[in-house]
Amino acid sequence: MRGTSTLRIAWRNLWRSRRRTALALSAIGLSVMLVLAYDAILRAYGDWMLETITGPMLGHVQVHAPGWRKDRAMDRTLRGVSRVVEALRRDPEVAGAGARLYAPALAALSEEGFAVIVLGVDPPAESGPQRLLAGVEAPLGDRQVFMGRALAELMHVRKGDTVALVGQGADGSLANDLFTVAGVIETPVDLVNRQGIIMSLGEAQDLFAMPDEAHEIVVHARDPARLQETVAAIRSVPGLQGAEVLDWQALAPEMLSLVQLVGVVGVFALILVFIAAAAGVANTMLMATFERTHEFGMLLALGTGPGRIIRMIVTESIVLGVLGALIGAALGILFVASTHHSGIDFAALTGRGPSEISFAGMRWSLRFYPSLAVVDVAQVVAAAIVTSLVASVWPAVRAARLQPAQALRE
Amino acid sequence: MTAVSRSARCAALLGAMFLVCPAARDLQQPPDVDALLGRIDDLYRSKSSMSRFEIQVTNPRTTRSMRLKAWTRGEEEVLVVIEAPPREEGTATLRVGKNLWNYLPRIARTIRVPPSAMLGSWMGTDFTNDDLVKESSLRKDFTSRIDRRSASPPGWWIAMEVKPGVVGRWARIELLVTDDLLPVEERHYDRKGRLARTMRFDEVKILGGRRLPAHFVLTPADVEGQKTELRYLELQFDVRIPEDTFSLSRLEQKR
Repeated sequence: MRGTSTLRIAWRNLWRSRRRTALALSAIGLSVMLVLAYDAILRAYGDWMLETITGPMLGHVQVHAPGWRKDRAMDRTLRGVSRVVEALRRDPEVAGAGARLYAPALAALSEEGFAVIVLGVDPPAESGPQRLLAGVEAPLGDRQVFMGRALAELMHVRKGDTVALVGQGADGSLANDLFTVAGVIETPVDLVNRQGIIMSLGEAQDLFAMPDEAHEIVVHARDPARLQETVAAIRSVPGLQGAEVLDWQALAPEMLSLVQLVGVVGVFALILVFIAAAAGVANTMLMATFERTHEFGMLLALGTGPGRIIRMIVTESIVLGVLGALIGAALGILFVASTHHSGIDFAALTGRGPSEISFAGMRWSLRFYPSLAVVDVAQVVAAAIVTSLVASVWPAVRAARLQPAQALRE
Repeated sequence: MTAVSRSARCAALLGAMFLVCPAARDLQQPPDVDALLGRIDDLYRSKSSMSRFEIQVTNPRTTRSMRLKAWTRGEEEVLVVIEAPPREEGTATLRVGKNLWNYLPRIARTIRVPPSAMLGSWMGTDFTNDDLVKESSLRKDFTSRIDRRSASPPGWWIAMEVKPGVVGRWARIELLVTDDLLPVEERHYDRKGRLARTMRFDEVKILGGRRLPAHFVLTPADVEGQKTELRYLELQFDVRIPEDTFSLSRLEQKR
């Protein structure tokens, strides 16, 4: 009975001073929205890094024949890859899998030879957002290749030209044939742009005498956070006994350090944003409560117990905190929902800067896709409520302990 | 013992002495390194040469062999044509000076090997394209000296150190030459001073009127079970070679 009356009085108090309530609500709401937005962008940034790193080339997990990564010998191959890839694609941990063949070769339009890397891939497996062949529309037919843009410029090759490729087959024999350039492509991977000639896996297997063999199988995990489970699932695939199965963190430790560094910096900034937001909420609540010292003195003078006053203020700030945090969470979620699919183009925000940057041998588009987890929202909402509560209880306790006469004078 | 036979034997001995004498003197005193290297350089080449040889490439997983025919003129011109296996027949490499071209009959194309591919394998062997081209610049890019005496086989180790400012794969090359002026072993050390590969010469016999090792084995130090063997089947020196042999147009003609 007493509880509901306290709540009723608190509610009435809140509506009695609409300006103060609106101020507190907007302070809490804005803070929550700000923290959530920043949190979402931080997540976007992390996802973006991971996607850029693992998307086009690295994948989340790679499979090789033992020793291949060290000497890249043509004949250190994985065998029976079509069946292995089929089995991998059926695995629930696996979002996508594709086999690749790498062969150093000479390419020539006329007499002049150029050192290239022939990359035999399964085009559908390499297509899609953030994949090697993202944005490449042209199909790859028989005796056709794609050529990296920088390489094509160096060799003065245009779409439709015929180039000779000369290399060494896995059996040591001479591999040579003529191919039509079906497209000059720009991939997110510098090395491929500078030196890459891409052909279908089957074509490459024929050229380099590697029937149903490949050098690498790249796997994208359904959930990148479940790397270990994915690795374990891949290891158990028949046909991969004795193969080397490594996740991207083991394959590219320098990239892992980069991700971790950026993560630490991001969390540090998040803490700062959070502190600023908490300070804003605390300040508003402190001021709002101090403002009412005179009112509390009056209540004390009328015989209201100090406990009742504290309960009333606590109830008011809980109501304010919950309302404000919900408004903020709604705004934050709205922001994420409106940008999650289209992304935020940081290049456009920074004016006429480059639309992508080149770093660590990769192209990094400047479009981020914010996202939030339920746990993020819950944490921020809880933190906002606690902060507003703490910030109002202290002045309330102080006011409740005052002599009514003194409180009335303040 | 008759007088005649004694004098005949004396003459034979004298003749032998005359041949052997310079080498015998060298036993006491290190030979002139430039002369020695010049001789080794010339051993398989002379003014011109024509040869047929077999190459066998062995790695831990496969073995492959080829039969080839080669022509050389001076130090700068080399033409090598694959005769077997049939799949690669007619594939040729032409070297003129610092330039190297491969001719591929299957696609009827001639492709110049770019500098960036010089360290790549030549025809799938452990030889690099560079080996075909760099041979003659050894004396230009390296300072050579007699390093030490070898007891078995009796001979001298020659040490070649790369000159400062020269870009290349090797920092040091060691060559063991016997007292009868035949190469036995050549060791290549990379820029970090590690032994990168060893070439051994054996099966000494008379080919093209010269006594020389007919069989080489090139063993890279870093790959277990990997080697390339080359065995001469036929070797002729100072033969007449048609003027247009070392030309691109000739390269593209059906052989």
